[in-house]
Amino acid sequence: MKQRTPNLLIVDDELHVRESLGHWFSEDGYEVSTASSGKEALAILGRQHFDVVITDIKMPGMDGIELQRHIHETDPDVAVLVITAYASVSTAVQALKEGAYDYMVKPFDPEELSRVVEKACEKIRLAEENVALKQQIVSAAPKFVIGKSREMQRVMELVESVAATDATVLVRGESGTGKELVARLIHTHSPRAFGPLVAVNCGALPEGLLESELFGHEKGSFTGAAGQRKGKLELADGGTLFLDEIGEIPAKVQVELLRALEDHKITRVGGTQEIKIDFRVICATNRNLEEAVREGTFREDLYYRINVFEIDIPPLRERPEDILLIAEHFLTKFSSAMGRRVTGLSPSARVLMLKYQWPGNVREHTNTIERALVVCREEEIEPQHLPILTRSTSQDGGDPDDLSMQAIERSHILRVLKLNEFNVTHTAKALEIDRVTLYNKMRKYKIERPTG
Amino acid sequence: MSPSWQVELVAIGSVTPSVLAHLREGLAGILACPVWIATLHVDPKPFFDPRRRQYAAHSILEHLLNPPPNEAVHRIGVTELDLFLPVFTHVFGAAQLGGPVAVASLHRLRPEFDGSLPDVLRMHQRLLKEVLHELGHTLALVHCRVPWCAMGASRLPEHVDLKDSSFCNPCADRIGIQKMDLE
Ligand SMILES: [Zn+2]
Ligand SMILES: [Zn+2]
Repeated sequence: MKQRTPNLLIVDDELHVRESLGHWFSEDGYEVSTASSGKEALAILGRQHFDVVITDIKMPGMDGIELQRHIHETDPDVAVLVITAYASVSTAVQALKEGAYDYMVKPFDPEELSRVVEKACEKIRLAEENVALKQQIVSAAPKFVIGKSREMQRVMELVESVAATDATVLVRGESGTGKELVARLIHTHSPRAFGPLVAVNCGALPEGLLESELFGHEKGSFTGAAGQRKGKLELADGGTLFLDEIGEIPAKVQVELLRALEDHKITRVGGTQEIKIDFRVICATNRNLEEAVREGTFREDLYYRINVFEIDIPPLRERPEDILLIAEHFLTKFSSAMGRRVTGLSPSARVLMLKYQWPGNVREHTNTIERALVVCREEEIEPQHLPILTRSTSQDGGDPDDLSMQAIERSHILRVLKLNEFNVTHTAKALEIDRVTLYNKMRKYKIERPTG
Repeated sequence: MSPSWQVELVAIGSVTPSVLAHLREGLAGILACPVWIATLHVDPKPFFDPRRRQYAAHSILEHLLNPPPNEAVHRIGVTELDLFLPVFTHVFGAAQLGGPVAVASLHRLRPEFDGSLPDVLRMHQRLLKEVLHELGHTLALVHCRVPWCAMGASRLPEHVDLKDSSFCNPCADRIGIQKMDLE
């Protein structure tokens, strides 16, 4: 998202104040306008929106407090910073009570004034970004963030088709693949989009607390339960309940959850009254639930209840075309936010990214890009800006402790093959051996071209 | 390619000769353009505000504009006195944005100002960065968000230390100088 330049309106009857402040904030890169009276300020504000208004309190005619009142009548989002030559507590209190953003006494410490205005602008920017973010989630934009590979397009199709129904969805994938984002997309594309989306991480709480977190509790039902409290299921009434790490739920809570999912009714911990709730459930897990069912740690009836519709998010390493796409996306996003002019990835950095196994998936990927941008002073990201990737790519899936020449030769050949998309002619050329030798070595080391 | 402009340094009040000499040399090295020290000092008395016991930066800028420097010359006042702008407690420097004059003060940049040990090298570096910064303003540059760029806004002397004594690529491009890689 491109950031626009914040603009300021400085209102003071004294010319030298307008000039000094105007000058100071122009150097800071703000767009600055000035007015010599409250009346003039209102005329300017009628034509143009301002993010921040800095106004003197004592002015002939309309004073700063009155000006602030008029401004907020028409546009409550404007941050009004009130300045004065005298430290008068009562005026300060009055200004703040009427909704001024802050209050400062002349002369200002330049550091302090800049900080206050920066903070005001930051607040406005965040508020705008929040609005934009909400719109983004509803729009098609997240598709881009998730990826454009065939696998992820399939995921998006599934999201779109299941969103309209009220079916229970099980989202599966390694950690960091964006399971919560998928849950969020289902919710925002569903008829429940205007209801709440309530998320619970089932792995984060011990049994007793998880129970009261999900179902709520009545006053005094257990030690520490000071008052009556609604559970997450109740809070999800009319909306969607997202249960992350569903595989971690203890046996006792599994029973209660199954009942709640089947009857859409709950009883608070320590309570007797049944409460009817209308909600949809999306669960997520990175565990092999089938195995847990076989082992008896996860109830089979609950498994079938939550696994009505399954969405599998493939790990990042299985969709190489998304690796660079996501890199470019976050590069643009972070570099504009950080004010950097990094244009892209160098060819060797691209190779490095594609070679890496991405055990932490998209989350690790975005962290890597963000870190690279912090250290990169060049126009392009180079391998030295990606230390995490250089540290662990040398093994290529082989046994890291096997240091024999054979093991190293095997892993080297495999690596070059992958870089050349298993084109034997190109690989042989890069290795400076002939094709027959390469075939023989591939046979010897049992290296096969991956199918599909 | 060296820039088409030139820099004239003007001492406001008495300035230690070695400070000016170091500054001139540093600027000439970075900018690859003529940099010289004006022979006449400016008497600071008219700019003194007895109530604040400081010197008015805006009045100094006005004075430096009179008479205006030749085209292509950027006239930078250098002083060891404490500067202020009317609404501010103090400033390290001030410049006419996109105009030919600026002023920079060593007063608060001396490490001993906040009780640190004197450090001549650091002091020279800070002044060089502050002058580069104000010069950038006379070339219409506004504050830059690249952390090591000379156009970064520094409100504290320690922030000045974190910057390079050079412009980042985008800022250097904007004022038409070639980036000097000092690392
Ligand atoms: Zn500045
Ligand atoms: Zn810059």
